[in-house]
Amino acid sequence: MTSADLKSVLNFSSFRPEADDPSAAWKKRFPGKRSVLFGVGRASLSWQAIGKGGGTEDVETVRADPKEILTSSAASIKDKTDDGWCLVSMNTRYTISLENNLSRRPGSEELLKTNARSVLGGRYERGKLYAMTHNPETNSSLLVSFEEDQTRRAESMFREFGFHVGRMCCGTYVLLRHALSVTNTSKGSDKPLSTLYVVLCEGAVCALVQDQDRWLELRSRTDVYDADISAVGDILAPFHARLAPEVGITLICDTPLSGIEEVLSLHFPGRAITDLSKPGLLAGLVTQN
Amino acid sequence: MQISGRFIDDFKTDRKGITPPLPTILRLVPILFYCAIAITLLLSSVFLLQYRIATQKRDGHRAQSGSLETQTTNAQSERTALETQIKKAIDLQNWVSGSRPLQPLIVEISRSMGPKANIIDLAVVRDEKAPAQVALSLKIGTDSVRQLDTTLEKIALQQYRAFSPTQTLGRGELDYRATLVRQGTTQTVPADPVQ
Repeated sequence: MTSADLKSVLNFSSFRPEADDPSAAWKKRFPGKRSVLFGVGRASLSWQAIGKGGGTEDVETVRADPKEILTSSAASIKDKTDDGWCLVSMNTRYTISLENNLSRRPGSEELLKTNARSVLGGRYERGKLYAMTHNPETNSSLLVSFEEDQTRRAESMFREFGFHVGRMCCGTYVLLRHALSVTNTSKGSDKPLSTLYVVLCEGAVCALVQDQDRWLELRSRTDVYDADISAVGDILAPFHARLAPEVGITLICDTPLSGIEEVLSLHFPGRAITDLSKPGLLAGLVTQN
Repeated sequence: MQISGRFIDDFKTDRKGITPPLPTILRLVPILFYCAIAITLLLSSVFLLQYRIATQKRDGHRAQSGSLETQTTNAQSERTALETQIKKAIDLQNWVSGSRPLQPLIVEISRSMGPKANIIDLAVVRDEKAPAQVALSLKIGTDSVRQLDTTLEKIALQQYRAFSPTQTLGRGELDYRATLVRQGTTQTVPADPVQ
């Protein structure tokens, strides 16, 4: 036992998860600490300061190469953190797909990180990182994948500017899972919901059609919109014809987008829109869980 | 259908050697450690305070003891002085009491002096072993022996008889020495002034 171990016991840090322990919730890893949530796009970088109590400031977005932005603004952004720890939401160069018949053996979600081939079988692609969410009622699953090199490059970029990446996630995927969890609350097949999930996060769009317990169709695109959100409608418009008339839309955005409901109403006339968006939603999800 | 939204998939490169947090129950270890420090500080403060109070009391007692010792010494000195004075007073009283039987003799010797004579020195010493015998030493300032005869007559009237008398006359002084022995049993003794 070293003096550092003794010190960590006496200041109670040994009883908290380590700062870069991905299995622990952010609020347990950094209690009472300030941090920053970065959103990395293809040609944009956004950041949102997270206070000690979990409160968030407004999102600041700059459309330019993320490295150039960090070169000029890293110091001021780092001042918003206590020790340079940050969360990164990768909003580009990922793939979300709807898959069937993936392995559901116990521990397969953990195994996906260490030995994805054994879980995905022929769907596995070398050099990719995966995460998945199973539909508990059917054999379909949501599968998100990243290029491993891309995540490493992003980590290196932030490390170069003095940041410590404590969590790297796909913001769209996090929001989609949150929308699924808050709308599907009944056990078994009771009161199944039919809806079109529309997820918007920093230019990325994901749409999932749920018909009662079944996931029928998923479409995911990145870097679809920036300031002008009209392009979102073009991506979603084809779903209108395939949806039953009574099916509504469940909308969730990382932060409320002005004008999105008008765009959706334009392409989905007469459909009810349930908006789950609220300010700082993504930051809240990634720091509370 | 229920889907948990509480788990966040992390794509960060995991660092090797991440250790899980220690069990919550082991928080007692640092808590007890800090409690022990706090109790130690508290007890040390109490003991230090008590030590200072005890030191002050000890110094006070020492000062009081020194003062009392000084007072005792002074009282003893005063007592010694008083005892000395008492002893002197007792000696004086004893002397006065012891000399009372001789006072009539001395008064008669004094009264026997004529106009041209005076007593230069008079010593009357009673022999401790033979209280009836008194050694008389009388030095008279006179030019004749008649004065001595007068004085001896007065002594005889006091029922004392002189043995082994010696007398020396010279240059206005008459030195007479003798051993007086009381004759008879009756004697007038003056009352004790102390009583």
